[in-house]
Amino acid sequence: MVQYTLKPDMNFVQDLQEAGGNNLKRCFQCATCSVACPLAPTNAPYPRKEMVWASWGLKDRLMRDADLWLCHNCGNCSDLCPRGARPADMMAAARDMIYKDLTTFSVVGKWMSKASGLPWLFLVPAVIWFVIWAIRAVCKGSWFPRAADGRIVFGEIFYGDYTIDPIFIITFFGACFILYRGARKLWEMFKPEGELLVVGKQKFWICYLVSVLMDEVVTHRKFDDCEDGPVTGKVVPNRKFGHAALVYSFTILAFVTAVVALGHWGGKIIPTIEIQTPMPLTFPIKILANIGALLLLCGLGALTWRRLSLSRSNHASGFYDWYLLGILWLVAATGILSQYFRLADALQPAFVLYYFHLVFVWMLFAYLPWSKLGHFVYRTAALVYVRMYGRS
Amino acid sequence: MSNAILVMGGGFAGITAAIEAAELGHDVYIVEKSPWLGGRVAQLNKYFPKFCPPSCGLEIQFQRIRKNPRVKFFTLAEVVGLSGYKGDYTAKIRLMPRRTAHHNVDFTLLASALTGETDNEFDFGLSKRKALYKSMPFAFPDRYALDAQSLSKSDTALVAEAKFVEPAEEPREVVLNAGVVVVATGWKPYDVTRLTNLGAGAVENCISNMQLERLASPFGPTQGKIVRPSDNRAPTNIAFVQCAGSRDQNHLNYCSYICCMATFKQCLYLLEQNPNVRITVYYIDLRAPGRYVNMLEKVRAQPNVSFIKGKVADVVQAEGDRVTLVAEDAVRGEKLILTYDLAVLATGMQPSLAAGKPALPLSLDEDGFVAGGEESGIFAAGCARMPLDVTRTARSGTAAALKAVQTVKGR
Repeated sequence: MVQYTLKPDMNFVQDLQEAGGNNLKRCFQCATCSVACPLAPTNAPYPRKEMVWASWGLKDRLMRDADLWLCHNCGNCSDLCPRGARPADMMAAARDMIYKDLTTFSVVGKWMSKASGLPWLFLVPAVIWFVIWAIRAVCKGSWFPRAADGRIVFGEIFYGDYTIDPIFIITFFGACFILYRGARKLWEMFKPEGELLVVGKQKFWICYLVSVLMDEVVTHRKFDDCEDGPVTGKVVPNRKFGHAALVYSFTILAFVTAVVALGHWGGKIIPTIEIQTPMPLTFPIKILANIGALLLLCGLGALTWRRLSLSRSNHASGFYDWYLLGILWLVAATGILSQYFRLADALQPAFVLYYFHLVFVWMLFAYLPWSKLGHFVYRTAALVYVRMYGRS
Repeated sequence: MSNAILVMGGGFAGITAAIEAAELGHDVYIVEKSPWLGGRVAQLNKYFPKFCPPSCGLEIQFQRIRKNPRVKFFTLAEVVGLSGYKGDYTAKIRLMPRRTAHHNVDFTLLASALTGETDNEFDFGLSKRKALYKSMPFAFPDRYALDAQSLSKSDTALVAEAKFVEPAEEPREVVLNAGVVVVATGWKPYDVTRLTNLGAGAVENCISNMQLERLASPFGPTQGKIVRPSDNRAPTNIAFVQCAGSRDQNHLNYCSYICCMATFKQCLYLLEQNPNVRITVYYIDLRAPGRYVNMLEKVRAQPNVSFIKGKVADVVQAEGDRVTLVAEDAVRGEKLILTYDLAVLATGMQPSLAAGKPALPLSLDEDGFVAGGEESGIFAAGCARMPLDVTRTARSGTAAALKAVQTVKGR
């Protein structure tokens, strides 16, 4: 018989407990959770095995476990758990620890892991945008300048070409790069030790990505599958509507942003496709943007209501959960309000809210790889990996 | 002031406590809710440790009661009020009408002539009974009871003409004086309808362990033949679901101590009836306290009994009234979805007092077990105090009797 010596990492257990898995030691390995989970496959189902890894401090096993990402956190396991060990919260906490430690700039990961890091997270963009505001105020001779025709134009202070665009382009591509690095690292972690021998024809990973997107992301099928577990006798609202609304709104808003950027910068080369901002309310792109914003609010409302109505004893909500919902609310609220004040011709509130809007949007994008929103890359990577190589 | 002892509950613990105290010269009153003494033990096919049928052990106790004029018992009775203090309690007892004559009358013919039927609670709904009934052949007192509500129209006419039946008998109340109280109110099987993920009692051929006891009992609904309730056919492939609602904070937050042993015993019932039967026991941990480990080894040595470590967390109806169970084999890390002819939920013991606290000065813990109260001369015995097997129940009855006697003597 092969003998293993387990090397428990007790600090890891403690970290995991602090991150939201505080009841994990109550687990007595009855395996109810693996049955409660409608997504867990028959071969090496989760989360029972993850619970014992967590309890024994097997950090390596847990961190490189693709199953962590196959879990969509419906909470059936926590509802049926006879000890109140809350496996779903442990899985979420383990994912949070991956957000925290996976990529470089670990100081951001540390800030992002606790509410006490929030001031720092806020201060970075607040200072950047304030400096820009101050410089432009000196140039314009006023903190709240009006355009030549008397309208409120945010570009007077936060001039697109020199301020917003470069900063956001750097932020966006920087975040993309860090996410890419993170996903690559996660991918390597998923691979079992030694050589991975693939028998048969293997398609390019993009093919698997497309099938994940078409089969799971577009349809949000897993959220319905989550409902197929044993009857828990407890009502936990489905997240499908709220989550889908958010995903679609993000897609729309990303498309709108891309079109506007293309129209703006492309317009400098081909004048016929130029788009001027602010766009009139009847402009198709503006209409699409406002539909996206409305969808964002609906999705956010649904998800926030759901989280608030969860039974606290079975489903804890951590800082990662509230940070993401909070930042989205702030982005949406400041965006809508600044537009409202601009149209209502309230000069000072419009600029102040627009400033906060920029701060929160920057926070959303710049910290994305360390926040819960990173799941859209990491989980997708795991889903693609599992389609490509199966689970190890 | 009184030297008498009031015993609530006429099951094994209550009877034992009563007899032990009476044999030391104290007047004892047993107050039993059902029409007969014997409690849960009377419902079993065989009981530990020697696999006696209940008639055996209970018969000795009933003999001791018959011979001892100091033991008085009330059946169909409930303590509805208790006032006073240690050494001088006044108990108000409500006596529900039995509606039959006070002596032993053989009502077999009359009972079989009745048409009205109702679910037989003694068989946990596995059979029907008539309005005039006696749940067990060794019943003590050996008298029928008439449940007037289950009489059909024609029954009412029949009963009205019959001798030795008093359909119009009314409830009565009596007041007793006692120095101390022994609470031996016992237990009930955990309500399977609350186990939503285990079928909530709605899955055909998914029965509880107590129902299996009734099926195995020669005085049960099938005269001892273990068959599937849906089609009366003998099952060949059976699963036991351990900890069904036990060690579970959503249900009973404790181990009932005896369900593992009950399952082993029931494995032997099944093997005795059909040596080719295949049995699977799904468990979290197998608990065989003390010498019972021999029993575990005996069952484990059976080639047709297999054990899987993993709690069943989903029970659904399968085709042909079979039962599909889902569990993870936690040793091998595989989810099993297997179908059986019969599934037995090894449900735990819930203290009877958990259902709703009676209007008595009793202190209960969060699970409904009696906790404390000895300083005021109230002693718990048997499963009202904690889950126990019959042997330990008898011991706890004796212990309560001893405490009770010392309390009234020491005044």
